[in-house]
Amino acid sequence: MSIQSSKTRAANPTMQGREFERPKKRAKQKAESRQRLIDAALRVFARNGILAATSAEIAEEAGLSHGSLFSHFGSQEALLAEAISTFGALATSRLHELCERGAGTREVLAAHLETISEREDFYSRLVVEAPMLPPVARQSLVIVQSTIAFHLAPALEADRAAGLIRDLALPLLFNTWLGLIHYYLANRDLFAPGASLVERRGEELLDHFMSMISIGGTV
Amino acid sequence: MSVKYCVACGMPMRTAKDFPLGDESKDYCVHCARPDGSMQSYEEKAASLAAFIVRTQGLDGRAARSSAESQMARLPAWRKRA
Repeated sequence: MSIQSSKTRAANPTMQGREFERPKKRAKQKAESRQRLIDAALRVFARNGILAATSAEIAEEAGLSHGSLFSHFGSQEALLAEAISTFGALATSRLHELCERGAGTREVLAAHLETISEREDFYSRLVVEAPMLPPVARQSLVIVQSTIAFHLAPALEADRAAGLIRDLALPLLFNTWLGLIHYYLANRDLFAPGASLVERRGEELLDHFMSMISIGGTV
Repeated sequence: MSVKYCVACGMPMRTAKDFPLGDESKDYCVHCARPDGSMQSYEEKAASLAAFIVRTQGLDGRAARSSAESQMARLPAWRKRA
């Protein structure tokens, strides 16, 4: 490359534009690799179990080097916490939309079940392994569940004000719902062997829960 | 408008009512702001997040505070403090 051509390139606004584009491209690639690792982690956790999964398996699933997992997240625990938050963000995004258009309790709970069914293998592992997870992951799950309960609250309030459901405290009502769903998910090999628990039994569980909280029949 | 995420609690901010006093130039959400629109301190946010967890799930107060601090440690506004 001649000195002349180098000078010409520096003066060329198009080339300068490209210089500006490089950091943007790098940031985009970084975000894509990060997302690939999260998606891969969700698949590996679902397949092998959360505590049994190794960082090497996750990196291989993502098609990235083992070191890249640590350069993006610092530790496998931090990646797990991000994977849980990602799952939670998908769930709460849908519940948020329902909240905005004033959906009722049954509709919001049905949407909650639907979001679980989309990642049922992962969520079932989470239910079973939660007490043994590292604190940062456990606490990430606490925030996810609180956010889900928060999005359920307006529907409950509206149905309660309309005299459709009983006056029950939000934490107990939400924990009763989770208790029911989690028990069936933790034992889904007994309740829906070889199938999706939510697909096979979800409607029945939802009917049962609604009959427990409803005043004078179903909502 | 692309969705902004609150630097202090991670909540997606989609519409003007998600921002303090409707000011969409802010990087923190309405739940992380004081009534005058300024951002809550670390202590204020940790206390309100812990109260949110207790209100929604009925956790023990100390366990809720621990979850709140852990969540905040992962967010841009508080990462350095953790």
